[in-house]
Amino acid sequence: MAKVFTGKDGALLIDGATQLKVTNWSLTGSVEMLETTSLGNAQRTYAPGVQEFNGSATLLYYSDDAERNDAANALRKVLKVDGVSDADTVTLNLRLVQGNTNHDVSFTAYITSVSFGAGVGEITSAQISFQTTGALTGVTL
Amino acid sequence: MTFPALAPTSRDFSPGDWPTKRFNSQSGAEVRILYGSQRTNAKISLSYDNITDANAQLFLEDYDAQLGTLRTFTLPSAAFSGWSGTNSKLDAPPGTKWRYEDEPSIKAVRPGRSSVTVKLVAVI
Repeated sequence: MAKVFTGKDGALLIDGATQLKVTNWSLTGSVEMLETTSLGNAQRTYAPGVQEFNGSATLLYYSDDAERNDAANALRKVLKVDGVSDADTVTLNLRLVQGNTNHDVSFTAYITSVSFGAGVGEITSAQISFQTTGALTGVTL
Repeated sequence: MTFPALAPTSRDFSPGDWPTKRFNSQSGAEVRILYGSQRTNAKISLSYDNITDANAQLFLEDYDAQLGTLRTFTLPSAAFSGWSGTNSKLDAPPGTKWRYEDEPSIKAVRPGRSSVTVKLVAVI
C-alpha cells in the first residue's frame, strides 16, 4: 500500500532502547571519491574511496514516571568528568516504521557533540551529533 | 618487461642541455666550449594517481626488470598521453634512453588504490 512517511513513523534506538521524546533525527552518508583522470582524458573519472556517516538528533530533556531520562543518558556520553574512552560507543538504530516492518539503518557510533540549555517559555531539549565508526551493521530501508 | 603503458595523471619534463664549459677571463669576457654533440640529462617525472594496486605493481616489476637504476629503456606512447605535439620532443633526446633516476615512489591511498611517481633521466 502506498505510504508517505512522516515524523510519526520515526524512532531512534540507542543501545536497543527506543528513545523517549525524540523530535528529529537525521543521517548523512558520503563516499570519498578518488580522481583517476589521466592526461588525455576529456572528462574527469573517479573511483570510490572511503565511506563516512554522521548525523544528529534532538531529544526532549524529559523524565518519565520511572525517572528515565534518555536525553540525559545521551548527554552523559560526552559530558563526563573522566573523559571519553574507546568504550564510549553506542549502537544506534534510525528507524522508520511501516506497520509491522521496520526500516532501519544500524551502526556503531560515537556521540561527538551535545548541546542543551534552558530558556523562559521553552521546552528544554538536547541536541546530539554522532559519527559512525566502522561499517554500517544493517540497512533494511 | 616493458615500462607500464599507462597514461599518467601528470608529467613534468625538462629537456636537458648540451655539455658545455664556460670560461671567464679577468676582463669579464666569456668563452663557452661545446664538449658533446648530444643533448643530455633530460628528465621526466611521471605521476599516476589513484591507480589500482595491480597497475602500481607493474612499476615495481619493471624497476626489478631494469635492475633498478642500471639499465636503460624506452617509454611507451601512453606516457605521452595528452601531449598534442610530437612525442619525440618530450622523449629522451636522440641517441639517449631513459633510466630510473630514483626508486619509484608508491603511496597507498586506500585498500586497492595507490599513487605512483617515477623519475627518469635520459642517458647515453
